[in-house]
Amino acid sequence: MIEINPDEFRLIAKYIHDISGIYLESNKSYLIETRLSGILEETGCRSYGELCTRAKSDMTGSIANKIIGAISTNETLFFRDTGPFEVLQHKILPDLIDRKTLNASELLPIPIRIWSAACATGQELYSISIVLRELFLNPNRYTIKLLGTDISDEAIARASYGKFNRFEIERGLPPNILKKYFSPNGDGWKINDDIRAMILFKKLNLLKPFESLGKFDIIFCRNVAIYFNMEDRKKLFNKLANAMEPGGYLVIGSTESLTGICSRFEPKRHLRTIFYQRVE
Amino acid sequence: MGKLKILAVDDDPVTLLLIEKKLNRQGYVIETAKSGKEAVEYISEQPYDVILTDLMMPGSIDGIGVLDAVKRRYENTHVILLTAHASVDTAVEAMKKGAADYLQKPINFDELMIRLERINSLKVLEKNAGDLREAMDITEKNAGQTIQDLEMTVSGLKNKLLRIRDILSEENKSSDERIKDTLGMLVDFK
Repeated sequence: MIEINPDEFRLIAKYIHDISGIYLESNKSYLIETRLSGILEETGCRSYGELCTRAKSDMTGSIANKIIGAISTNETLFFRDTGPFEVLQHKILPDLIDRKTLNASELLPIPIRIWSAACATGQELYSISIVLRELFLNPNRYTIKLLGTDISDEAIARASYGKFNRFEIERGLPPNILKKYFSPNGDGWKINDDIRAMILFKKLNLLKPFESLGKFDIIFCRNVAIYFNMEDRKKLFNKLANAMEPGGYLVIGSTESLTGICSRFEPKRHLRTIFYQRVE
Repeated sequence: MGKLKILAVDDDPVTLLLIEKKLNRQGYVIETAKSGKEAVEYISEQPYDVILTDLMMPGSIDGIGVLDAVKRRYENTHVILLTAHASVDTAVEAMKKGAADYLQKPINFDELMIRLERINSLKVLEKNAGDLREAMDITEKNAGQTIQDLEMTVSGLKNKLLRIRDILSEENKSSDERIKDTLGMLVDFK
């Protein structure tokens, strides 16, 4: 295996940060070697320095995409950690709907916008849409829009296709839910079209501006900031606060904290799980 | 992890005996069935890691029938088909239905051992991945609870400090009153 020297590590770590926001500490050179060695071979580069130079000058962005795909962690499960979905179903959505119905006109449908900011291969967003389905909201009364974004092209393509293998299905997805919302497809299961149609998937680097996405009522941004440095975390959560009105809801990973990172959100607890609401 | 538990299925007793002998020598746990029907009966009673089955067998259940019966019941069982040269196409079709592999007859036992070792490594890896996930789940759950408790505590303290700041800067109260109110706020301070 071709080894990476400290200079090359600094170079490629900076490049990875630039294209993805992922921050690699200097003890992570093994991660580069184990995850990028395949790309090195594929592109015929003799060193990581050369790979970095090639990636930067590649106008098609295909090497950059490969690097992002290899270095980003797509660990995700259906209903990973049940807490956030219970909070969504029993607290956030009922509160949001109450609040919105109070101010809404009888004639116009009430819009609800939900964003899964780092959706990986889509399991989180499909879980959210299943929760919405299970609430039996009147489709004439509410227009629900779901957006899923991720840094990895490959992840977005898979999320968008909505097919999962048995390992991905086995954990987290109750059999009754599986039968109700998925259909057997080859050696796996595919999400049903009516669920798929609720969602728009697109590629997005969270460290780039995203005002153009508009405002959301609920944002899920779980276990992505953990790969960022402090400065980028602060920027990210500040931008997420801008992407919602006061009172908007934010759900972060169960081991994440906003203390010292963003004071524009206030933690609230429902049963054993925390969610955040934007303050004025 | 122990050695693989294997069920060999063939209507030819000589082949069956040969497989049994060779695999026994390698330390595998091996059982044999003389027909598809017998194999399906065994499978319904207990799980195996690997089913090594002849593709063409007389009777109502052939190798594909065995494969179907296994896959209906145990997703994780690996099925290796033994085929005559002429039925390679059928074997490829069987791979699409979930067979792990096929071997042409006469059996090359070195080849079979390699396939079995590979299945064994896969099983070990699968178990490792499962164990790691489990360990991560537990760690994450505990860490999550601790962090969320701290998050609520910090948030509560912050709000309390803000209120104390307000109390201390109330201009229409005397210093004594302000200090008294502040101390009141701090009575239940933990």
